[in-house]
Amino acid sequence: MNTLLFFQNLVNPDVNVPIVLPEFIIAIAGIIVMVYDSFKPAKQRITGAVSIIGLILATVATFWLWATPGNPASAFNGMMVTDNLRLSFTVVFLLVSILTILISSVWVENEKVPAGEYHALLLFATVGMMFMASGNDMVIIFLGLETLSIATYVMAGLRKNDLRSNESAMKYFILGSYASAFLLYGMALVYGATGSTNITEIAAVLSSGESAFPTLFLVGGAMLLIGFGFKVATVPFHIWTPDVYEGAPTPITGFMAAGPKAAGFASFLRIFAIGFPLVATVQASALLHESWITALTMMAILTMTIGNIAAIVQNNVKRMLAYSSIAHAGYALVGFIGAGVATTVTGRDEAIAAVAFYMLTYAVTNLGAFAVVTLLAQKNDRRTEFEDYNGIGFKSPVLAFTLSLFMLSLLGLPLTAGFIGKVLVFRPALEAGSAMLTFLVIVAVVNTAISAYYYLRLIVVMFFKERTTDWIAPKIPTALGAVILLTVLGVFYFGLFGNSTIKSFTKSPATTKPATTQNAQLK
Amino acid sequence: MDFITENLITILILLPAFGALAVLGHSIFWNEVKHLKWITLGITFVIFLVSLLLLGDSTLSANGYYFEKNVVWIEAINTNYHVGVDGLSLWLVILTTFIMPIAVLSTWDAVEKRHTAFYVFLLLLQSAMIGVFVSLDLLVFYLFFEASLVPMFFLIGIWGGSNRIYAAVKFFIFTALGSLLMLVAIISLYYMHFQQVGFGTFDYITLLNSLQSGKLIYGAGSTGTLLFLAFALAFSIKVPVFPFHTWLPDAHTEAPTAGSVILAAVLLKMGTYGLMRFNFTLFPEASRELAWIFIILAIIGIIYGALVAMVQPDIKRLVAYSSIAHMGFVILGMFSFTELGMQGALYTMLAHGVTTGALFLLVGFIYDRRHTRLISEYGGLSSIMPIYATFFVITTMASIGLPFLNGFVGEFLIMIGMWSATILSGSWNKIAAMLAGTGVIFAAVYLLWMVQRVFFGKLTNEKNRNLRDLNAREIGLMVPLLFLMVFMGVYPKPILDASKNSVVAIQKIVNGETKGGTVSTLKVKEK
Repeated sequence: MNTLLFFQNLVNPDVNVPIVLPEFIIAIAGIIVMVYDSFKPAKQRITGAVSIIGLILATVATFWLWATPGNPASAFNGMMVTDNLRLSFTVVFLLVSILTILISSVWVENEKVPAGEYHALLLFATVGMMFMASGNDMVIIFLGLETLSIATYVMAGLRKNDLRSNESAMKYFILGSYASAFLLYGMALVYGATGSTNITEIAAVLSSGESAFPTLFLVGGAMLLIGFGFKVATVPFHIWTPDVYEGAPTPITGFMAAGPKAAGFASFLRIFAIGFPLVATVQASALLHESWITALTMMAILTMTIGNIAAIVQNNVKRMLAYSSIAHAGYALVGFIGAGVATTVTGRDEAIAAVAFYMLTYAVTNLGAFAVVTLLAQKNDRRTEFEDYNGIGFKSPVLAFTLSLFMLSLLGLPLTAGFIGKVLVFRPALEAGSAMLTFLVIVAVVNTAISAYYYLRLIVVMFFKERTTDWIAPKIPTALGAVILLTVLGVFYFGLFGNSTIKSFTKSPATTKPATTQNAQLK
Repeated sequence: MDFITENLITILILLPAFGALAVLGHSIFWNEVKHLKWITLGITFVIFLVSLLLLGDSTLSANGYYFEKNVVWIEAINTNYHVGVDGLSLWLVILTTFIMPIAVLSTWDAVEKRHTAFYVFLLLLQSAMIGVFVSLDLLVFYLFFEASLVPMFFLIGIWGGSNRIYAAVKFFIFTALGSLLMLVAIISLYYMHFQQVGFGTFDYITLLNSLQSGKLIYGAGSTGTLLFLAFALAFSIKVPVFPFHTWLPDAHTEAPTAGSVILAAVLLKMGTYGLMRFNFTLFPEASRELAWIFIILAIIGIIYGALVAMVQPDIKRLVAYSSIAHMGFVILGMFSFTELGMQGALYTMLAHGVTTGALFLLVGFIYDRRHTRLISEYGGLSSIMPIYATFFVITTMASIGLPFLNGFVGEFLIMIGMWSATILSGSWNKIAAMLAGTGVIFAAVYLLWMVQRVFFGKLTNEKNRNLRDLNAREIGLMVPLLFLMVFMGVYPKPILDASKNSVVAIQKIVNGETKGGTVSTLKVKEK
């Protein structure tokens, strides 16, 4: 009977195109850009425009999926899902990619980067990220992750003549592949324990207590933790981050800190918070849940503390931002743990929305900061040391003040997006009321105070120090000006009127049951 | 007019922010530096006049606040833009709006660079400060509390003295650390309310109602104490209470005159205001239990501040340490939990704002002329600058607490309050009052000694021979302050009457006398 159903599915697969429309659009746009580039290379404007149009269309499609009731909750035999986790993270990815294309326009022109290749890679990376959020099956998640990773490895090394860029790409590639192996092994072990790669089914098996292999689960979970820990750069799997971020071209660094990190969080959340739930009556589930919550708590504490302390001693702005992005992964983990310990589905969805919103505010702020840093760095990333920023505050007031605003938002000061993001991710962890998690939040808060030192340092050098060397204020090109304006507005908008965004992030679209339910019996 | 009275507080918060935009716009489109100070002065003066409307008639809201406004801000976390004033916050708002034009005038010609940014930050700071005193939602309060840091950070960092970077960063990190722990406590309160009452809230009134009606209880454990400590730490750093004071002398000394005036007159009061408004009412049991710690720290602060002030070679640093001593008095009065003590604390907050603000102004005047603040550089100034010397001596007397000047009223009330308090066991209350009394003597010592060395005797430094006396602007600045010193010293009734009901309501709550009731007891019957 099972075999029969299996073949039925093969012959009559549960295909639903609208549900993958956003991914579809981006993939098509990527192909158009690639093909166009092979005929007429080096036309930045055209490939950039095609990419941005594709990204905007995909955003529209995502909102359409969100707003239109009646789409199935899952399709492709449960491999793709439509829920608030997927949609809210997809919005973050698309925004990140649009901003990255705008930011990099200057750099592409300055350094004669093959624009077509670059834009195509960025679009494929975006597709990968989107699959990581929408995949409800570990295979899809892995495919998405690899698509993303391979594209990013190349992008990190796009500045071919720069040793640092080459080093960055090489390091990222070797360590990234190593981490992917861990991830894959973890997936294999979990498959061994449950007989399925589908996350809904894994959760079902765990809850039913049928699994006879709690050890496999634990080892598999640990492997997954390491793999994802690498992808989102949590301590102690963060060592690659500063070198890669420093060496990669500045716009790519901004992209890597915002996009792939959010994507990592999306599938990390999907597998752990949804796939490994707590069912108190089932021993394996309770054991697994307790282990990963404890492990993640430790990781979060280490990530925040080490990220912040290391950031203090940096003398290079890009390296400082790299370490600060490690610390921010730690703050996001606090919300993640909150999603893990939530007792109700609503609570879990709220916590997931909080993490997504946090990544959104981080992406907006961080990309804004990288836009300014790119502009100030000029050709070959020459000016990225703290010293290079000495006393530019009143020489380039617009850039300096916006950069200060981004630093204050990263710090989480009220009235900025970063503040609302922090309040939202700390909230679910406190809700649990356990001593360990309260301690975690206090550590996070103390870390925020520590981080004040290095965020303020940038403001200090820009405004309080005197400039001894000449300073030619860079002209702000239109595309970058647009990014800076958008991100500044975003920082204030999410800081003051974030209400509606948070609300829609919490809400899953009204969906119908999946077209076929056979896959639930397919074991 | 209806529109104005209905949204008076919002207007007060937004006016300075719009003023900042006006200054910015003017400098972009017109770029006439000379106009900026006039524009800022005009704006702050208008704000002061508008703030006087707070004294006018208004209906009391059901929660016992005037000009209350409650609008949803972020629904997802149930936080509202909820503002209102009562007898406690009323005077602090007016103090803020009163001090601002004076602060602008104090650095009339002393701003040498970045004029636009200076006035923009000054006005933004005013928005945040007013916001702190009127917020009735804990998250909104936190927001303004933190937001006030940034403009001050820039004011110290850009226009400060030689060691300004160290002072600015220290100021920011000290205060930010404290207030972040308060944020954890605020979110914890939200969740305790969520678990026990069924919905989470940041609203001060709702939390207070739930506490008073017994719907929200901290339980037997240490939760209440820990929450109290998280709030108290944030405010103690701001005040500053004794072991947390080290940022203050640096910040005060390095800040430009306008910054020092605002810091002393208003920013420090945020701490004492927060303790009285939030700690006392939200955690009455913990407040009573831990009062002895604060009383001891207050006395240490009074004596330590005075002793350290005595040996300062720098006049501004001396005044800064005297602030620590004065704020010690305020803390002592508050934690006596008597009506007199708490009224005295509020009164000393206002008096200290006026006198210490004036002292920083006076130090600023002499610094503008000689570019030094070292006591040893001066001597015998009274013969060269008689008007300046007169003003200085009067202000000093007010600061020491001479009867008929404003310092006396508050400190006297505080000492009576502490003397009659029952918070400590046995005669310790009286011992505490006596120890605090020695602070007045110390204050006389360090201030009079400084006055003697700077103003009297023979002219010791030839460089001072040609100093000109105060000009019309400087006299005009000092006159309202001197008038207030005398007025508040002779006729304290209107201020004390207006704050009485609010202070008594808080005192009743902190003493556990209104248990089981509602906040209707908080109502201010008359002003």
